[in-house]
Amino acid sequence: MPSHRMPSEADIISTVEFNHTGELLATGDKGGRVVIFQREPESKNAPHSQGEYDVYSTFQSHEPEFDYLKSLEIEEKINKIKWLPQQNAAHSLLSTNDKTIKLWKITERDKRPEGYNLKDEEGKLKDLSTVTSLQVPVLKPMDLMVEVSPRRVFANGHTYHINSISVNSDCETYMSADDLRINLWHLAITDRSFNIVDIKPANMEDLTEVITASEFHPHHCNLFVYSSSKGSLRLCDMRAAALCDKHSKLFEEPEDPSNRSFFSEIISSVSDVKFSHSGRYMLTRDYLTVKVWDLNMEARPIETYQVHDYLRSKLCSLYENDCIFDKFECAWNGSDSVIMTGAYNNFFRMFDRNTKRDVTLEASRESSKPRAVLKPRRVCVGGKRRRDDISVDSLDFTKKILHTAWHPAENIIAIAATNNLYIFQDKVNSEMH
Amino acid sequence: MVGGLKRKHSDLEEDEKWDWGPAGLRSYQQALLRISLDKVQRGLGPRAPSLRRHVLIHNTLQQLQAALCLAPAPALPPEPLFLGEEDFSLSATIGSILRELETSMDETESPPDPVAPVGPQDEVLSQSDPVFLEALSSRYLGDSGLDDFFLDIDTSAVEKEPALAPPAPPHNLFCAPGSWEWNELDHIMEIILGS
Repeated sequence: MPSHRMPSEADIISTVEFNHTGELLATGDKGGRVVIFQREPESKNAPHSQGEYDVYSTFQSHEPEFDYLKSLEIEEKINKIKWLPQQNAAHSLLSTNDKTIKLWKITERDKRPEGYNLKDEEGKLKDLSTVTSLQVPVLKPMDLMVEVSPRRVFANGHTYHINSISVNSDCETYMSADDLRINLWHLAITDRSFNIVDIKPANMEDLTEVITASEFHPHHCNLFVYSSSKGSLRLCDMRAAALCDKHSKLFEEPEDPSNRSFFSEIISSVSDVKFSHSGRYMLTRDYLTVKVWDLNMEARPIETYQVHDYLRSKLCSLYENDCIFDKFECAWNGSDSVIMTGAYNNFFRMFDRNTKRDVTLEASRESSKPRAVLKPRRVCVGGKRRRDDISVDSLDFTKKILHTAWHPAENIIAIAATNNLYIFQDKVNSEMH
Repeated sequence: MVGGLKRKHSDLEEDEKWDWGPAGLRSYQQALLRISLDKVQRGLGPRAPSLRRHVLIHNTLQQLQAALCLAPAPALPPEPLFLGEEDFSLSATIGSILRELETSMDETESPPDPVAPVGPQDEVLSQSDPVFLEALSSRYLGDSGLDDFFLDIDTSAVEKEPALAPPAPPHNLFCAPGSWEWNELDHIMEIILGS
């Protein structure tokens, strides 16, 4: 759904998330808005429209605030959205900015009551002298209305910036992680949370590591993982102790001395961690690679895929222009056989774990006309250059794909490219955007 | 900021063009130090900057400091990294500060205390730019009471010779087009030198 106007900062998409059935897709942006898309059912008249996502609801989730004690602005930017498992006809999601998490309820209304005895159609009380007989109110169909209402506001739980939220498989609790702490909340209680991880040193001078992402295990409600800026993953078991400062497992890859540089730590900082749907593996993204870890093997990842290794010789410039701190996310497909992550120049990468094939695709208005087929792209690093190849030096580092999401069951992906959302599906001749 | 790869970095073209001799390595490290200090300075805005970014830069600065201190001094002084017009310039000052950093380490027997340096220079620094430190502490250290997140970068050499501090040279001397905000460097210098 590319927009044709000049993007403003507020329009930049900051998170993308499918719900558990894939019927709904939510995006959050830097302006604090949440846009929900709904997948249209197949129509016999227009078979190509099957699976297209249309805007379902838009609402302002967070507003800019000011912390008067610290004289700091609190951005309205939506850092993360997580859907709650659907329990009834309504849908619910959590959205968070740097400090405050909110629970939203999304409901549909397609009928309205008519024929009240004491109220007229506008809701005003009738003159009782005109009421001569009683009638039974009835529900009349009306145009579908989607209502979004704030149900809970979980504030004051975080001193630092919230980078992750994750709903537990018990469907009753969720966690929120900031740079130094992880809190556990009950979905129905807003005035207290339990601190389950705290890596803040007694003296901030000793601070050398921060929490970068965190997630609950998809099936075991006692397990969660968090990643760090030093490239490690810690798996914690809430049954072990109330405060999970001591991890159950530490996943860390020994550093390759041949690749050591001043940027080793920065590029090994984990920007995202995701459990596989099966719960057996974890996927992590660092600056140059994506890695698959087996929960049963801590010493090294079982698979490592290069996302854009050609940038290894550009790290100094990427440090200078701050790109090296970009937080790319990563995603599993529904069967855990393919992984996806973003790159620069509006490119995104997919890796097939079975065939070991990888592909670079581009999310751009030119290359993704409705129902067009995406052509693989190739970045050339010196040497022979084929037609359509793009040289490393012409990559546009302002066009970065940080946020992607994969439909939980089907091969439909959502790609956030600055202020544009692209949705692709793998059926031949039915690609869309 | 973004898209900076298209900029020309006369001192940072790392594509195999870098001279990895001792002098080249040294000036590369100094260039990184310059960039890192610039980032520390630029991180102070109305919003709390990313703590992850800050910690990563801080750790990089620590590594650079260790490397600059441990590496043997080159036979000849490295190419001037900061292209000033005269000795009085900021560039010469920074160059001499970096050299001072090295020589001071040669004199020291034990490695620098990883904890914040103590002594008068610490006070000088704290007092000299309260805005800088206050901004850092108010962002991250709200409940910690720490005042000097970055004070473990050893600046002892800098305070050794306060005479090095230039009396605020006119900015128009340092208008290297497109590569460096000299005004910011100037400000960092003020912070470092406590002037």
